Amino acid sequence: MLLNVAAVITLVVTQQTDTTVPVRPGMRLDVDNFGGEIVVRAWNQNAVRVQATHSSRDRIDVGVGSSTVSVKAESRRGLAQMVEYQISAPTWMEMNLHGVSTDIEVDGAQAGVTAETVNGEVKVRGGSGQLSLKSVQGAVTLQNAKGHIDVYTVNEEVTLENVSGDVTAETVSGDISLGGIESASVEVSTVSGDVHYDGTIKDGGHYRFATHNGDVSVSVPERANVTVSVATFNGDFDSCFPVSVTNTSKHRFSFTIGSGSARAELETFNGDIKLCRPGQLHDKRHNDQEDH
Amino acid sequence: MKDQWTDRLSGYLDGDLGVAERGALEAHLAGCPACEATLDELRRVVARAQALEDQPPATDLWPAIAEQIGVSSGAHRVVSLAAHRARRRVSLTVAQLAAAAAVLLLLGSGGAYLALHRSTQDNRPLARRQTGIEPVTGTIGWVQKTSASYDSAVAELQGALEQGRNSGRLDSATVRVLTQSLVTIDSAIVQARRALAADPGSAYLNQHLADTMRRKLELLRRANTLVPART
Repeated sequence: MLLNVAAVITLVVTQQTDTTVPVRPGMRLDVDNFGGEIVVRAWNQNAVRVQATHSSRDRIDVGVGSSTVSVKAESRRGLAQMVEYQISAPTWMEMNLHGVSTDIEVDGAQAGVTAETVNGEVKVRGGSGQLSLKSVQGAVTLQNAKGHIDVYTVNEEVTLENVSGDVTAETVSGDISLGGIESASVEVSTVSGDVHYDGTIKDGGHYRFATHNGDVSVSVPERANVTVSVATFNGDFDSCFPVSVTNTSKHRFSFTIGSGSARAELETFNGDIKLCRPGQLHDKRHNDQEDH
Repeated sequence: MKDQWTDRLSGYLDGDLGVAERGALEAHLAGCPACEATLDELRRVVARAQALEDQPPATDLWPAIAEQIGVSSGAHRVVSLAAHRARRRVSLTVAQLAAAAAVLLLLGSGGAYLALHRSTQDNRPLARRQTGIEPVTGTIGWVQKTSASYDSAVAELQGALEQGRNSGRLDSATVRVLTQSLVTIDSAIVQARRALAADPGSAYLNQHLADTMRRKLELLRRANTLVPART
């Protein structure tokens, strides 16, 4: 009985909006949503389709300007609350997505993506150019993207897979896992969490992996040319292949692989540092997890 | 380890040594792994400090935050860091260089914020205003002398967050997460401080402490910028 009442109430208070507007190359998509979700799927049409599930008190405003399509909810009474957006946008369209208690998901974009939320996950598959993904309370995941990548969360993990370009990834409490990375500039740091990197070490590149409480594991390809600096206060260093330490000071030592033209800094205050070949780290992590 | 050459490493990096002295030092470096290691660490901290400085300084950051969270920013003057930076030249001893680099790391993102909050009558060079220190004589010095500025910045940003919570702009769950994260960082700071107190000469610990303190400022700053302005 209660379920029936709830279903009737839901039917009464929810509403669907479905609007499609034409767009021109160069235009940007701006979406602002307080609560709910924003899901954007890229398609090969020069149009933006906005499908929204929302309260009947709210109205979805799709504004088309000279350079932007802006999507937001307006309420007849008070503030618009929960809106579930399903948006289709051209692959070339840059997007700027903002939420508060909002999950954000983007799939198939081939342009820049800015996605920021306070309480919610951010998942982006695809993207090119400037990619800025941020959350406070939610995991951030980026896959199959290239460009200048800036990823930040506070209380969850960061995962990057098959990504190329400059990478900056930060969290406070959470692991950071980077796999299939092709980059000459990677800066990764967390305060409480593990750091895992599996990707290229390019000549002349700069790589920094740092945590306070956690392990750091990094893969170094066979033919890499890199000077590695290792620093740990309470922890051990382990390498799957032999290294010859050249410079040592308290809490830090370094060694050179090949010509040493790239620079890698591996730091953890409380934790171990592991160096392996690509593919070995996954096996090693798997074994370590089984041991625990 | 410290020998007669250690204090000249800074000058060497700056290109201040004469030809003869430079040649002698390089000959010494070839046979002194300790000095070579020290020089390598100095290069690293300086490089990191320079890299952070090269990030676009958010000189107009605070007014935007203040507007979002409803705090007056009218009394604060925006300064051109680039202009000051172009004129700046720092020459320090090894310990001073390590300390200064660490402070720059600490204030890399918060420096503009601090600069905005200093008196417009402050005519000291920007490097000193940013770091809040006169040239220091030891690695412990910078921690002590920057604490007041750092604490002030943290207190103000935390106050702003508190206002955000009280005004309903931040929900209790988000505040709880931020608080837990701040506790996590504070714990790391305490550990790093203790380690540094026991080993004040460690460039790694200096750098790590500075990085961790910077993370706290950055978290507070980011949290404030993420506070939505609901109208």
